[in-house]
Amino acid sequence: MPVATVTDTAVRHRLKGWWAGLDEPVSIAPLVTLRVVLGGLLLFSTARFWALGWIDDHYIRPGFHFHYYGFEWVRLLPPSGLYAVHALLMLSSLLVMLGLCYRLAALAQFLLFTYTELLDLTYYLNHYYFVSIACAMLVVAPAHRAVSLDVWRNPALRLTHVPRWTVGMFKLQLALVYGYAGLWKINSDWLLHALPLKIWLPAQDRLPLIGPLFRFTETAYVFSWLGMLYDATIPFWLSWSTTRPFAYVVVIVFHVVTGMLFQIGVFPAVMIGATLVFFSEKWHRRIWRIPNGESHAANTEWRMPIAKSVLVVHFLFQILFPWRYLLYPGNVFWTEEGYRFSWRVMLMEKAGTAQFYVRDGRTGREGLVVNSEFLNPHQEKQMSMQPDMILQFAHFLKAHYEKKGVADPVVRAEVYVTLNGRPSRLLIDPAVDLTLLRDGWGRKAWILASER
Amino acid sequence: MKIQYLLLLLLPFFACDNSGSSSGNDFDRRAMLEHYGQHIIQPAYGTLGSNTEILKTQSDAFATGLTEAALLQARTAWRTAYESWQNANAFNFGPGGEEGTRKSLVEEIGLFPVSESKIESRIASGAWNMNDFDRDARGFLAVEYLLYGKNQSTAEVLNAFQVSPNRRQYLNDLVQNLVSRVSDVRTAWSAYYPGFVANDGTDVGSSTSLLYNEFVRSYESLKNFKVALPLGKRPGQVQPEPQLVEGFYSATSLDMIKRHWASVEHLWYGQDPAGADGPGFREYLASVEGGDMLIGQTEAQMAVVRSALAAVPANQSLSELMAAEAPEVVALNDELQKFTRFIKSDMSSLLGIAITFASGDGD
Repeated sequence: MPVATVTDTAVRHRLKGWWAGLDEPVSIAPLVTLRVVLGGLLLFSTARFWALGWIDDHYIRPGFHFHYYGFEWVRLLPPSGLYAVHALLMLSSLLVMLGLCYRLAALAQFLLFTYTELLDLTYYLNHYYFVSIACAMLVVAPAHRAVSLDVWRNPALRLTHVPRWTVGMFKLQLALVYGYAGLWKINSDWLLHALPLKIWLPAQDRLPLIGPLFRFTETAYVFSWLGMLYDATIPFWLSWSTTRPFAYVVVIVFHVVTGMLFQIGVFPAVMIGATLVFFSEKWHRRIWRIPNGESHAANTEWRMPIAKSVLVVHFLFQILFPWRYLLYPGNVFWTEEGYRFSWRVMLMEKAGTAQFYVRDGRTGREGLVVNSEFLNPHQEKQMSMQPDMILQFAHFLKAHYEKKGVADPVVRAEVYVTLNGRPSRLLIDPAVDLTLLRDGWGRKAWILASER
Repeated sequence: MKIQYLLLLLLPFFACDNSGSSSGNDFDRRAMLEHYGQHIIQPAYGTLGSNTEILKTQSDAFATGLTEAALLQARTAWRTAYESWQNANAFNFGPGGEEGTRKSLVEEIGLFPVSESKIESRIASGAWNMNDFDRDARGFLAVEYLLYGKNQSTAEVLNAFQVSPNRRQYLNDLVQNLVSRVSDVRTAWSAYYPGFVANDGTDVGSSTSLLYNEFVRSYESLKNFKVALPLGKRPGQVQPEPQLVEGFYSATSLDMIKRHWASVEHLWYGQDPAGADGPGFREYLASVEGGDMLIGQTEAQMAVVRSALAAVPANQSLSELMAAEAPEVVALNDELQKFTRFIKSDMSSLLGIAITFASGDGD
């Protein structure tokens, strides 16, 4: 088959060219921006978390924590340890920002931040997931080799150029975050019914200037469509120099408005900061006063051969993992099988009431659990609509009441969930003994259909 | 090229053109807050305040007179005051909320069961403090314990007061504490009111969110602690624990539960004590899409709970009925449970009221 062979060779040739192209020298300046912005934001965000008393509220006070599947081994430190972790996280973020002892600081920043995220599934947020990924990328990127205290101490470290992939990985990651966020908005509730914005916006009618607009259904439609178009296309507008200045203004307006509308913490600042990476090399160079170097090649002696291969695996995962929901039957919004780690953001209004029953296997006497005895309001809210968390809580209840003298506890739950304002329905089979079930990748057959 | 993109941006404006009749939401949350503040919350504290003052007068008269007639009058005054508390026990935010070492009003004056041993040992020692952590040794239900006694005849209760000046003093201090705690909250409300009305958003800490959360909490405390717990319906309980009912010593439990439930209904409808209707949660729900459906479901279950309450025999004390796990009480527990989801998750979800402080997932 000579034709196929010729094509094969051509493809291989092009691939090789592309692979080599990833090492082409580009200015280090965008990396410096990212280092300073992400380090600074993490420092601020951790200080804010501490100041709001959330270390205590989120981690110390609750008697029970929901774990991430596969990360059950992550242990909660005693209170002093948790405060130490947050103090060290702030210190490492400061060092990352300044570019001092950079590799170690960036590694510590990544590990400590990710550790705090893994402590309780309740607080899972897509933007924390993004921050974790960006922190991991900072560990690999040579972002300290210009405009940093490390370079000031050891000028031999100074670089003006770095391989293209070190900047490109941040752009691709951002494009995926936005792209998927936009893609998942293409559904009938979001576009045709303006849900959940139709619920959320009228509740914000007291905002200055734009508030009164939210009383009109039309506003929810406009916001839904613009939100979808923004997410799906903004990476393109940012990549193209002609549209970039306008697109960045849109980025700022969009994130500031969503920040005012919703309780989303530092997230708007993270996106407004991170998207700066799309700006031209010249723009970043001017900020940091980095010369454009005489010989590009000579200035790119920094190499990390294995990193490119690891990145290919990472991005394959990033591209494929969000689609796993297709392997499960039913509506992903309802079952949440394959919902997380897929950049589904602000997509639905969902809430539930979960009544657990614990039956003494010997006497048959059944009692009603008061969730707030064990969980804080945030934990209870999240648990009451997510099957895997319901299962974890049921197992906790079994162990708890076994210790309290209930023999062979049978735990079942009547969970009513409302999705996008529809009348609530039973989420799971209320008769099934949850203690007999184990979480896993498999389909959860005990979840009832959303439409019956 | 660029024209195409511009058209794409305009698409949503065309797309929503045919969304038809705009259900422009013009519900006035401020008017709702004014109504709750002016016609429900402050009057509830007002009545509670004057009734605790009457209780003070009567218990003072009893402490000096030490007659059976005075004891009975003090009991009646207690009962009236505690009945009015059922209309004021859902506002544990702002002046009625936690602040520093002071707990919310319901925890300061409405805690039950009380600790008989703590109360008796305080009286025996003659030393007590009305600001310590032993909240189960004071409040309405400690007064009840003293005035009614545990399985004691009126003569026995009277005698206990006659022989113990400490007992008389403790009763006096308990009632005085009630009067001043209620009066503090009542007074603070006039200064709090303008801010309460002005804070008319739906985010955490907004008046609507505070009012709503405490409304749900009040209902849940009725269900969990006034019914399920004494009925032995908590996991680990092997039998009913009828001594845990509210109003155990006075055998007023069922009446208090009925009044508490009525106040839940009044709050839902936005009814003032005279029964006059104003803009309340019900009207707020009616203003949003899907609200009418939820109102229908909620009120249907409300009617079921109401008849379950009416079906509980009134000629027997609730603690006795609970001890026997009477089917009417078990049914009441079940129907209360079925009501929960309507006002807990369904309602907050439809109205978009924030219930926790933590950050959500933004984009």
